[in-house]
Amino acid sequence: MIAVELRKLFRRPRTWATIAVLNALPVLVAVLLVLTDLAPRPGEGPPFLSAVLTNGALYPLAALAIVLPLFLPIAVAVVAGDSVAGEAQAGTLRYLLARPAGRTRLLVAKLVAVLAFVLVTVVVVAAVGYLVGTTLFDAQPVAGTSVSGTSLTPEELAVRTVLAIGYVAVSMLGVAAFALFFSTLTDSPLGATMGALVVLVTSSLLFTLDAASPIAPYLPTRYWLAFVDFFRDPVLWRDITRGIALQGVYVGVLLAAAWANFTTKDITS
Amino acid sequence: MATPGRAAAPRWAVVGVAVAALAALPALVGALPVGDCPVPAAELRAEVLASDGVTYSGYAESAGGLALPVTDQLDSVADLFSDRTEMRVWWRSPDDHRVDVLSAAGETGVHRDARGTWTWEYERAAATRAATTPLALPAPPDLLPATLGRRLLSEATDAELTRIGPRRIAGHDALGLRVTPEEPASAVQHVDVWVDPGSGLPLQVVVLGRTSEVPALDTRFLDLELAVPDASTTSFAPPPGARVGTADQAEIVLEAGRRLAPVPLPGTLAGLPRRTLDGAPPGIGLYGRGITLLAVAPVPRRLADELRRTLAQSPDAVTDEAGTRIAAGPVGLMLLDPPHAGPYVLTGTVTLDALVEAAAQLPALGGVR
Amino acid sequence: MSTVIATRGLAKQYGRLHAVDGIDLDVRAGDVYGFLGANGSGKTTTVRMLLGLVLPTRGEIDLLGERMPRAGRRVLPRVGALIESPAAHGHLSGRENLALLDAAGPGGSRRDRRRRVADVLDQVGLGGVGRRPVKAYSLGMRQRLGLAGALLRRPELLVLDEPTNGLDPQGISEIRELLLELHRGGTTIFLSSHLLAEVEQLCTRVGVLDRGRLVLQDDLAILTAPTGATVVRTPTPERVRAVLDGRVAAVDAERVVVSGGDAAEVNALLVRAGIPITGLAPDRPTLEEVVLAAAATSADRVERAP
Repeated sequence: MIAVELRKLFRRPRTWATIAVLNALPVLVAVLLVLTDLAPRPGEGPPFLSAVLTNGALYPLAALAIVLPLFLPIAVAVVAGDSVAGEAQAGTLRYLLARPAGRTRLLVAKLVAVLAFVLVTVVVVAAVGYLVGTTLFDAQPVAGTSVSGTSLTPEELAVRTVLAIGYVAVSMLGVAAFALFFSTLTDSPLGATMGALVVLVTSSLLFTLDAASPIAPYLPTRYWLAFVDFFRDPVLWRDITRGIALQGVYVGVLLAAAWANFTTKDITS
Repeated sequence: MATPGRAAAPRWAVVGVAVAALAALPALVGALPVGDCPVPAAELRAEVLASDGVTYSGYAESAGGLALPVTDQLDSVADLFSDRTEMRVWWRSPDDHRVDVLSAAGETGVHRDARGTWTWEYERAAATRAATTPLALPAPPDLLPATLGRRLLSEATDAELTRIGPRRIAGHDALGLRVTPEEPASAVQHVDVWVDPGSGLPLQVVVLGRTSEVPALDTRFLDLELAVPDASTTSFAPPPGARVGTADQAEIVLEAGRRLAPVPLPGTLAGLPRRTLDGAPPGIGLYGRGITLLAVAPVPRRLADELRRTLAQSPDAVTDEAGTRIAAGPVGLMLLDPPHAGPYVLTGTVTLDALVEAAAQLPALGGVR
Repeated sequence: MSTVIATRGLAKQYGRLHAVDGIDLDVRAGDVYGFLGANGSGKTTTVRMLLGLVLPTRGEIDLLGERMPRAGRRVLPRVGALIESPAAHGHLSGRENLALLDAAGPGGSRRDRRRRVADVLDQVGLGGVGRRPVKAYSLGMRQRLGLAGALLRRPELLVLDEPTNGLDPQGISEIRELLLELHRGGTTIFLSSHLLAEVEQLCTRVGVLDRGRLVLQDDLAILTAPTGATVVRTPTPERVRAVLDGRVAAVDAERVVVSGGDAAEVNALLVRAGIPITGLAPDRPTLEEVVLAAAATSADRVERAP
């Protein structure tokens, strides 16, 4: 079942088009940086971008930081919002369920497929970022400097980069779960995607609002930037563990809600 | 949806119960009883004052409610008291520790060693060496609950101390201690300090002004580990490629020495006795005790002009024949510009009335009685 | 003869609307069951309830001897279905669509999947379609692909909703042949349709749904059994009336209905009187007449409440 969903997702031209578009922005930023040599002022712009001019090996992180706030969640919301509602709209959902693909199994398979998409997307963005960074900028493969001003060996830098990529992928789970849940509520993939994006924008907005600080720790976007914490020395695990736990709770709750809705729903599409 | 044969209600009930349980979890943990212990207030204060050798590492957050009217030059100080500051700290001893102020995409770390501090700014890739001075502008490490709590309790008298209820802070049951300043001039209502009973380490400090229900400053540990941090964590060597520099002394301190004719300062101001401070130039006067402090300092002309402009735009500022003054929570500030002495600033945790009274006691600064 | 589909008091209510209102279907093994009803009469809802897609408000469904939707995982692999229109992933070829559908559920072994897909494509006449993506298929090809999907696991029961939709006359006849061949091989066919002619040509048993109620369910042979009258076609109906006075039940242009089921006897009488006869047959009601008599009005009509 999971294999079927993976094949469906990655045989689809739109999936790869989405990933390609997602890579376009970091590449464009890199090209502009090289042409103009105007790095953003320190402390401004996406994390790590100002550090890229001196060490191109950091560009995977800068690329992730560029797509993290908006592009990546949109892509995830599009794919996850399409997962059930897209099948409903195309009419294939009724054949799948009459096949029979168990409703719970289908839901889990869809979630796994979305997870695979997130992971592939993040890895591709990081890989393209690395290629772009090392070709366009001076790379210092010898060592890197942590955010805390200590030196990192290339091995440490590589391990932390991999962990950060993993964390960014985990951060997208909440959005994916929201979109998947909405996807079981409606037969319109666009509606499900928009629903997830509304949640996303609301969360980002509330995060900047002081009056919302009591609920800030529960906002799905609260710990997104914590991937930077992997590059502090020692690693600051506080927000990272909280971020992972929070995403886990969102996935658990929303998957349960999706299950409660989808397994008792009349399929009339 | 109608009522399907496969009952939807029980499934939604399961989901609802799970969500409710998750939502109630923080409240339930918060409602757990906190252990208290009838330690006398004076004894608790003594424990706190003896705690500067306690080794620990942790994560602290300070939230300031002070909107100081300031100029660009003092931005960093103003942010400290008006913003939320997230800090990581590793404390091996008073002259071997490290405090990182975190921002979303970078950090500023202050590494203290026996001879001074290294300040590392990630965004600028700059490492700055500074010697320790007895008089310096407030810096993030001063906002750590442990440091601030010790400082605010250091000069409190037993009569000013009362015990208040305990709190759980960073997983530790902490005992409450309240300082209510005796001086009528004080703009501070009280200062609450919660103390870890085992180590004497202050875990949370809340400063409340007389005029507001919102704390002027609330700093607390969110994580705390009472263990010796690694020496390699607190030490610092500028990384390759970093800009390395040496810090200048704060301009406000230098200005005091530059004045050719320092104004003579009296022994008491607004009922507060003058105190001496090693290393401070005689041009700066510091008055008061404990949490009621008043400073009189000459400021550079440029700074004074900027300050006046900022004050002029602030609706809270008061200007009359006595001078221009403003209160931000428990901190008062008054700008005096006598004709021949150059501009002076009076500031401290005193009421505006006390500032006017102090200015009146400084006729050389043009104060009007 | 075992029962393949049995429902008892099956009902589906959407708010205050009774889409299906307590029907007792009875489809037996070896039937070609024609499930007739106007648009909106509840056919589709019933079909979806049989397959576990829509959950009934009341009533029970036994499919191949097991209770639905609980036993769906065991029963549905033995059922092939074409529900309303066919649907497939447009960017994939028909072959891939079938392989994915087969892999999505239990009861299709991986080893012979490729062969089964090829066989079933040949069966519906899409053997040579190659790697063309489904979005380039014509409506008829999609219909054939949908049918192929239903046949993929050699089901014991085929549930088909308007299977000849979008096909040209040759296609319709081909599919009809295919269904009859499957039926001869022992497959029970449940055919939901609003095309009376199609049902009349294929089916052995008929159920008629009218506004959510099953108004008629019987063998086609019984429903359209001779009425005991004879139909005479003649250019001179008034002379028939003269000869067979008293036995003429109805005259409609050149069509005269005469009581008495023995056509030979009627023929003899008329020939003896020298009346030209162009046609002579025992009177049978058409399915259309049966259905129209059973179902009152079209469900599309929305009458003003009295």
